[in-house]
This record gives sequence, structure tokens and C-alpha cells, in this order.
Amino acid sequence: MAHLLRRSGIALALLWLVCTLTFALVHSAPGDAALLLLPPEADAATLARLRAELGLDAPLAQQYLRWLGNIARGDLGTSLATGRPVIESIRDALPVSVGLGMSSLVLTVLIGVTIGSAQARRAGSTTDTWLTMACTTMYSAPTFWLSLACVAAVTVGAAAFGIPPAWRLPAFALRDPGVLDAGSAPLDVLRHAVLPVLVLSLTGAAGVARFARSAIVEAARGDHRRTALAKGVTAGRAWQHHVVRVALPSIAALVALSVPGIVAGSVFVEGVFAWPGMGRLLLGAVSQRDHPVILAVTLLYATAVIATNLFTDLALPLLDPRRTRP
Amino acid sequence: MSLRLPARVRIAIGALSLLVVACVIGPAFFERDPTAIGDVLAQRFRAPLTTDGSGAWHLFGTDAFGRDVFSRLLLAGRLSLLVGVAGALLSGVLGAVLGALAGWSAGWLDRVITALADTLQAIPRLVLLLACAALWKPGIPTLLTVLALTGWMGVARLVRAEVTGLVERDFVAAARVLGATQPRMLTRHVLPNAIAPALVATTLGIGNAILLESGLSFLGLGVQPPSPSWGNMIAGGREHLVTAPWIALGPGVAVVITVTAATLIGDWLQERASGRTGLT
Repeated sequence: MAHLLRRSGIALALLWLVCTLTFALVHSAPGDAALLLLPPEADAATLARLRAELGLDAPLAQQYLRWLGNIARGDLGTSLATGRPVIESIRDALPVSVGLGMSSLVLTVLIGVTIGSAQARRAGSTTDTWLTMACTTMYSAPTFWLSLACVAAVTVGAAAFGIPPAWRLPAFALRDPGVLDAGSAPLDVLRHAVLPVLVLSLTGAAGVARFARSAIVEAARGDHRRTALAKGVTAGRAWQHHVVRVALPSIAALVALSVPGIVAGSVFVEGVFAWPGMGRLLLGAVSQRDHPVILAVTLLYATAVIATNLFTDLALPLLDPRRTRP
Repeated sequence: MSLRLPARVRIAIGALSLLVVACVIGPAFFERDPTAIGDVLAQRFRAPLTTDGSGAWHLFGTDAFGRDVFSRLLLAGRLSLLVGVAGALLSGVLGAVLGALAGWSAGWLDRVITALADTLQAIPRLVLLLACAALWKPGIPTLLTVLALTGWMGVARLVRAEVTGLVERDFVAAARVLGATQPRMLTRHVLPNAIAPALVATTLGIGNAILLESGLSFLGLGVQPPSPSWGNMIAGGREHLVTAPWIALGPGVAVVITVTAATLIGDWLQERASGRTGLT
């Protein structure tokens, strides 16, 4: 319990540091919101009036405290570009990204660990070398480029092979505008999700496989496996209970480690496949230099990373065989 | 010292050297400036291995402005490789310095540096890069600064751990007894022994930096046209994906080859380095 409180305290402190850092970042950049909002020919008086309206004339420390207070109350400010409360845009975008991210995270870990453990089982073989090459190549491919390749494959590619339009996968957006009835809408979203989830989970899985392989190979070197084999445990059982089981905590740690990668990947994937999620919100805000939105999305992503780290920190000891077995 | 390289590392080194040599000396042999726009209508959207209206032959075809994709690819390679290597090196040096300071001082400075590293690592690097690139003027100096500022934490952690361990060792104590100054002990006795993992991490960081550069340039926040980089070439091919897929294909393949090769070499170095430290 004390451990839980201490860990949560550290996570909260980290979150506060992230807030402070992003605030410092935005305020160290040239120009401010008032300059961005007004046309370049605006005179000094208008500029001063707008600065006062936005609270930008207050001392920096005061602005910082007010901003922190607002965040603590869940007020993330209003978008400079649209005038809409940031929280509303996030409320629309968040479910899309969470759905995309969670399904990709599950697939990433499943596929990655399967490949990694298959490699570790045959460590040093030709299959292992080829799989290492394949995973490294996949891991090295830019997500945005793979997404573009997928778009080309289901449009030009599918047309070249004469695949009827009804069978083709949709390349863009979250759903077809025409499909509204409750029966076919979920299936429609699922069809649209195939490509984005595929790109995200395959690139992620390649990275996970690299780590899972070395974690399991490391566990297989341990003496406990030799002991198990010596006392007559079958090879398969020794592998399952004395190698994979031992590597499980390090594999579970991969879940937390893959989150930043999935976040980064989803920014590109949402951008290319035109998905109305957080990534696209961030890209739009970046191109319009919409500071409040950039700040809010960055904070939210950091919260996701810190939360998964906290979760694995607390859950990992439960998986460690040295703690669960007498 | 026997140096028996595994086949995949030899292939990686071969591919990478070929690519680097082509990018460095290739542009010297161009007849036409790969960034200049000539007779657009007669030259644009030529498929690979065809001749355009002016009689010039194009290995990888031409883009939407009639510029030769192959020569642009090589010119872009210069920038992409430079930004990747320089970005990784800068963050490696920054990480080594901060990590050494943290491990050596082991006081409030250590806590400040560690807290800063933890904070920066809680924000996905791409998001941090996007936010920074949006706030400052896009371009190569910004790109390098931001790559260095967001990439030092891994190296710093490694160097800090090494330095913390080394400070306890007898040869450092011996140097102190002999009257060596603090900077001398750090630079002559501690850092040379702590640098191997930092070098490996920096090598592995090159691939990452090239990927990030291409990503930012793809989004228009990195290398600015008309200077070509692999990322902004892919961005340029995005609109013509259906009619002229070769424009985006080449730069993408170049990124994949470079990053794969750099990662394979980095992985191999890491294996060797960890094998060595495992023995001592």
C-alpha cells in the first residue's frame, strides 16, 4: 500500500514536471498568441488590448499558476484557431485514438511476443536470422510511408488486380458517410480500421519481437533451466515453465515500453488515413500553431505514458515467479 | 583481434557504404541541378527507365515538376544522412556530458538531471519534436537542436550508471590519492571506461534520428523545399500516389535500407559490448 502511494506520488510529480516543461517550452518560443491571432498590420493598441484580454500581460509566474489551476480543474483553454474549448475537441478525438491505440497495442504485444519467442526457441538458426532481418526492416520502415503504401495497394493495386469495389478495403476515414444504420455501422468502422491497425501493430510488433527474443534468450541461459532438465522435466515443459515464465516480467514491461511508439505511430497513421483522432488534432494544431491544443494533446499523451508506466510498475512484481512461488 | 562479422552485418556495412558513397560523390556528376525546375510539361511524371521530352533518360522517373527522382534521391540522402548522424552524435555528446555530470556529482545536480530525463522521457519523442518544430522556425538548425534536446536521455542514463559504478573503483581512488584534479579524474580515468555503451546507444540512435527527420520533413516541419530530403520527397509524392507511385517509392526504400543497416550494425555492436562487460 505504501508502495502504491509512493509510486502514485512519483507519477503525479512527473506529470507536474511535464506540465511545467511544456509551459516553459511554449513561453520560450518567439511570438505569442496575440501576435498569432491578429493580422500583421494590427497596431500596438489592439495588440495590447488582446494581450490583456488573454491574460498575457500578467507576469509569467502568475500566468503559470493560473494555467496549472485551470488544468487541475480540467479546463484546457480554448483553441486559438477555432475558438472552441480544447476539451470538446479532445472529447471527440479521444475515443478514436484510444480505440486505435488499444487494439494496436494488444496486437503489437501478441504478434511481437509470438515472433520473439519462436525466434528464441530456434536461436541461431537460419529461421531466426531471417526473422531478425524481417523484423529489423519492418522496425526501420517509416510508419507514414507504410501507410501510404497501404493506401496505394488498396486503391491502385486493387484496381490493377481487378478486385471488385465491394471487396476492396476503404483507404480513408473512420466510416463511410452513407452507412448510418446501427446494424452495419460497426462492421463499416471495422473495415476502415483494418489498415491503420495493421500498420501500427506490425511496426510495433517488429520492435517488441526484437526485445522479446533477447529477453527469452537471456532467460534460457539461466541455470534453473538446466536444473529443471536435469531432474527430468521434458524440454517443452522446461521451456514453458522455466524459460518463458521467467522472462514474463520483462515481456510485460514491453507493454509500457511500446506505448510511446504507438502514440508516435498513431500520429502519422491518423494523418495519412484521415482518422479524426488525437494525432490528427495535434497535426492540425501544429500547422496552425494553435498553442493551447498542442499543450493539451502533449499533456494527454504524457499522461498516457506515465499511467502505463505506473500500471506496469505496480503489476510487474505480481508476475515475478520469485515472488509468486515459495 | 579477430574480426569475424556475421553475414547480416557484412551486408549492412556494404549497403550502407554504397549508399553513403553514392550520396556523397553522386551529386558531383549531375548534368542538371536536381532542384531546378525546367520545362515542367515536357518532363513531369515520367515513369522510371524512360526518356522525357528533352531527351534526358531517367532511372527512377521524374516528379511533379519534371525533376529527376534519382539525382534528387542522392542529394536528399546527403541531408538526411547528415541530419541523422549529426542529430545522433549531438544527442550522444549531450547525453554523455549530462550523464557523467549526474553520476560524478551524485548530489542535487544528479537529481535535477535525472528528473529532467524522466520528464522528457514521459513525452513521446515525436510529440515533443512536433511541439518544438511548431514553436520555432522550421529548418535544419532547429531540427538538429530539437533532435539533440530530445534524444540525450538514453545515453545519459547509461553513462550515469557506468560512472556511478566507476567512482567506487580502486584506480579512481588511486588517481585521487595521487592528487589528480576532479576534471582530470573524470576525463582521464572515468569517462574513457564509461564511453562504450554510450557509443553503442549513439549508433543505434542514428537510425532513429533519420526516421524522425524523415517524419518531420514529411509533415513539412523538417527540411524545407526546395532542398530535398527523403521525408519531403515522400510528402511530394503523396498527392501523386495513384498516378506516379515511383516518386514516393524511392525515398521510402532509401530510408528503410539506411535505418535497417544502421540498426543491424548497432545491434551487433551492442551484442559485442555486452558480451565484453559480461566477462569482467
